[in-house]
Amino acid sequence: MSKMKERYVLTQSQKMMVFILSMSLYGLSNMITELVPSIQLGPIELSIEYFAFIPLTLCILFHPLYAAIGAALGEVIFGEIMLGQFGGFGELEKFIAFSLAMFIAGSLVNDPTNKRQVGIAAIIGVVIHQAISSVVDIGKVWIGVEELEAVPGLAESVVVIEGFAFLNDVLFSGILFALLPTLYLVPRLYGKIEPLLGMKPRNNTIKFSMKEVIAPRLIVVGILLACAAFFFEFLSEAGFNYEWEADFLEIFGSWFIWVSIAVAFLVALITVVVMIKNKNNSSNDNDNERLSS
Amino acid sequence: MTKQIQLKQVNFQYPGGKSNVLKDVSLEINKGEFLAIIGGNGSGKSTLCKLLNGLIPHYYVGDFTGQVIVNGLVTTDHKVAELSHHVGYVYQDFENQLVSPRVLEDASFAPLNFGFPDYIQRGKRALDLVGLHGHDDEFVWQLSGGQKHQLALAGAVSLNPDILIIDEPVAQLDPFHAEEVYKILEMLNKDHGKTIIVIEHHTEFIAEFCDQVVLMDAGQIIWKKQTNDALKEVDHLLASKIYPPQVTQAAYQCGQFKNNELPVRLEEALNQFPIQLNNHKDEFPRSNYSHLAERDKLVELKQVSFSYKMVNRSRKKVLKDINLDIHHGDLVALVGNNGAGKSSLMRLITGLVKPEKGNVYVEGKNTRNYSPEKLADTVTYIYQNPEEMFIEDCVRKDVEFYLKARKVPGYEKIVEDVLRQFDLTDLQDNDSRLMSGGQQRRASLAIGVAMEPSIILLDEPTANLDIATRKHITKLIDSLKEQIISVIIATHDMQLVAEWANRIIVLHEGEVIHDGDRESVFSNVSLLELAGLKPPQILELSRKLHMSPLAYTVEEFVHALKKEENPSGIYTEII
Amino acid sequence: MEYTRKLSEKLSVEQVKIELLNTAYGNGHTFLAKLDPRTLFIWYLFFGMAPWFIHNKPVLIGLLVFMVITTITAKISPLIILILCLGLLGQGGYLLIASWFFGGDLSVILPLIILTMKVSIISLASITVFCSMDPEKLSNGLLKIGVPGQVSFSIAYGYRMLPSLLEEYHHVFLSFRLRGKAPMKHGFLYWRTIGYFAKIAVLSFYPLLLSTAKRARTTVEALELKGSFYAFNHPKVKKIKLAHLSFRSRDYMFLAFSALYVFTLFVAGNI
Repeated sequence: MSKMKERYVLTQSQKMMVFILSMSLYGLSNMITELVPSIQLGPIELSIEYFAFIPLTLCILFHPLYAAIGAALGEVIFGEIMLGQFGGFGELEKFIAFSLAMFIAGSLVNDPTNKRQVGIAAIIGVVIHQAISSVVDIGKVWIGVEELEAVPGLAESVVVIEGFAFLNDVLFSGILFALLPTLYLVPRLYGKIEPLLGMKPRNNTIKFSMKEVIAPRLIVVGILLACAAFFFEFLSEAGFNYEWEADFLEIFGSWFIWVSIAVAFLVALITVVVMIKNKNNSSNDNDNERLSS
Repeated sequence: MTKQIQLKQVNFQYPGGKSNVLKDVSLEINKGEFLAIIGGNGSGKSTLCKLLNGLIPHYYVGDFTGQVIVNGLVTTDHKVAELSHHVGYVYQDFENQLVSPRVLEDASFAPLNFGFPDYIQRGKRALDLVGLHGHDDEFVWQLSGGQKHQLALAGAVSLNPDILIIDEPVAQLDPFHAEEVYKILEMLNKDHGKTIIVIEHHTEFIAEFCDQVVLMDAGQIIWKKQTNDALKEVDHLLASKIYPPQVTQAAYQCGQFKNNELPVRLEEALNQFPIQLNNHKDEFPRSNYSHLAERDKLVELKQVSFSYKMVNRSRKKVLKDINLDIHHGDLVALVGNNGAGKSSLMRLITGLVKPEKGNVYVEGKNTRNYSPEKLADTVTYIYQNPEEMFIEDCVRKDVEFYLKARKVPGYEKIVEDVLRQFDLTDLQDNDSRLMSGGQQRRASLAIGVAMEPSIILLDEPTANLDIATRKHITKLIDSLKEQIISVIIATHDMQLVAEWANRIIVLHEGEVIHDGDRESVFSNVSLLELAGLKPPQILELSRKLHMSPLAYTVEEFVHALKKEENPSGIYTEII
Repeated sequence: MEYTRKLSEKLSVEQVKIELLNTAYGNGHTFLAKLDPRTLFIWYLFFGMAPWFIHNKPVLIGLLVFMVITTITAKISPLIILILCLGLLGQGGYLLIASWFFGGDLSVILPLIILTMKVSIISLASITVFCSMDPEKLSNGLLKIGVPGQVSFSIAYGYRMLPSLLEEYHHVFLSFRLRGKAPMKHGFLYWRTIGYFAKIAVLSFYPLLLSTAKRARTTVEALELKGSFYAFNHPKVKKIKLAHLSFRSRDYMFLAFSALYVFTLFVAGNI
């Protein structure tokens, strides 16, 4: 990621501008999509899930980290808090998944004028986000239902329903509201919007072959690296310059520690629960027998 | 007199800029001055002001040389945060500097950020100072435009700085609120000893309120003078496209005054121009519009009432039982206070909103039964903010959008013609939102005209423009009468009204209180006062001189005066 | 046409402003609304997380009863609860139907009911807590527990700018409608019309991106002048701003009572 710093340095205020821009626009779009009713055909929901093209475009044109965090925060604030629908932990999970996905998508693009790169990045962004959401949803059922495997058909149906939702979102929202608009907007805005914020367009001196990136193993490695990079950026690059930096290190840092403690606590809890489950299997069996008898 | 601000040999270039925005600028400003900075577009006025609060060179990291000292602090050695205790700044787009949801919160935002425990008291004091009472817990978006400007000012004085900078206070406000703002500034200057710096090109306000004037051109300071002397430099001002007060222009064009005798205020002019005694007796024409009513009706409003839901869920009545016909050939000026119902009336004609009671007919079609898309073939509405008209990425695409969507054959020709008419041929590939205010306005007019409507509605077409651009736009609007059957303009710009309209409708609290021509409006003092209209200075002068007929422009005034004086033999100067 | 008109009314700027005011001045007078935000966070930390890991039916039922009671105390509008219930039932229903395709039988019903119960407890807990906090209180609370100042600034900024942004969006959207041409036929299930409006909704963001960029520049300059960045780095400012937050006896009592109730439930449930 040090490469990125080299190619693209922003001042504190420029980072703040990118952040505000991304937050208010994606927030606005989110409020609109929240208010527009959706068409529900059984489990298939043909709704405007989200206008992912806004953060995608901004992540591609500007510094991906600030645009990604701004958009994710905008979603929580405009789409939830301001409509009185703030959902606690659920928002935290959405925040992390969305900003991570957008950040990776933005980082994949080195040359905003390259349509293929932009298109692939847009779709990858949506895929990552939806994949994380699906995994989290499946995970919830897995944690929430005692001995999921023991219930016939449930595990499969959860996976199928989530998988279907995933495909639906990627193909419908992903193409209509991420891929096409991003391809339309990025070339139009490149070189035009940057001067309004008093900065130079992202330059495209570093290029890499798309084949390398597409290779599946590299995608996996890339995602892992990007995750690491994201947290790394979050923790250390962090500052919206050095004044924000100190702040981020101090406050966001400690906040993040708080989150990681929560995550660690969660992992520990899951382990404990699984252990107890295994231990109590026998007693549970006894219970069941008693019930059936 | 203590020197409060000193600029020594300052040069500045924006990062990536091609040339210096400021060239060798040296300037001294004393404590307690009320200073106006004037100059054409791009002369460096805003850049100069941003030097004073340290945004340059701390925030805009360009090439900076020279020295700026404010209240004894060298700006390069002190942070923006420190300097903002000494300098308050109100932006031209002041709405964007209000960042907190509620009024009191915003006023106390800066004191809180700088860690004053009594931040709420400080905020309250600031609100008191600018006269914004009783809105403490309201949301900022519940305020009117004028109140928002007051709030921005309160935010700027909340840290109790000695120096206040206001960037074009008149640009975004109607004339009534602009004067209110100036009165507040005058009070801050006189009673609280604050140094006030305004960027301004409305010289009539300068004459009234400021005591010093700095003229800038191409990044250099031409001079700094006392207001009385500065405004008499008519040649210098006109060379920078600054128009002196109308009374000054009139006296200058008459040619019978020496430069240092030119009047700059209305009262001075009254003493210097002779009273016109030979006029026929003043008779105020009544509303005299009815006799024109035989012509074809284009728009009919029949007993129309309209109200909208307010945030506290009550309904506010904005139009009450309006009956109005617009005919072929009407050039209507819709005037009245803010909130008198001008915009609502126009939106009713576009069909964007439907009347609560009564009916609106456009070319015989009841707007209730037609969608705004359908009515758009007949009616074009041009927003006050041109940016809201720009939906494409270049001027040409915007202009042709409507024609192209309807696949009008040979639309290229129409587009070419319209672009030429509005001087946009050279700009056609530029993005409309990146152009200057005047160019944007031209583009928005071009978009409207390219839709080939029968009736065109303009909302404040000359607002936020400097006077030179305003004159150009007025001329373009005047050229519309050849192609459009009827034009309606809602405006505060009385110069435009006086020069252009053949019919003036005065709205007051949702009712039509007058409908007539310009004579009937501008000679009726009580009507002007009731509706809050401020006639152009030259008109005011000619009325006070009992001139008849009234002069609506400087040219008319000078012409009338010459006709007056030539026969009597007093006036003999050769031009 | 009728439908789009209704929709545009619903999306009108005034309507959204009213909506915002409702949330902002919402339930200020309930017992829960008077609690310190930190109390509510601690409370939520347990009730929003723990149910996932509890499989004991009596305990879950006890928790659900407790949540229903707190929801009623918080005076949540019945509509919100109804929507929530329908959503949960729907989700459970799909799972049930889908699982039968994979050879499931009636034994699926019980785990699904338990799952639905857990989700209900968690949802009710979050509704109770976050509907009892107006956005200002929430933002102060977040600031207090160490979330960076930028977040609470962003909440405030959202409240400030949303109406202006929405208004501008609305105008741009109207410009598209007035100058464009809606499809002549609605198409099967209105898809042409829907597609047309969706396209405009997306395209309208291009102008907005540029004008918001202009706005952002002035705003950030003003933030600099008003000392926001100074405040982000000085904990003293946070202290002054949050001076009014304090734990009172009712906070302790509420937490103690909740803990006691949960403890009793666990004891009773495991007998």
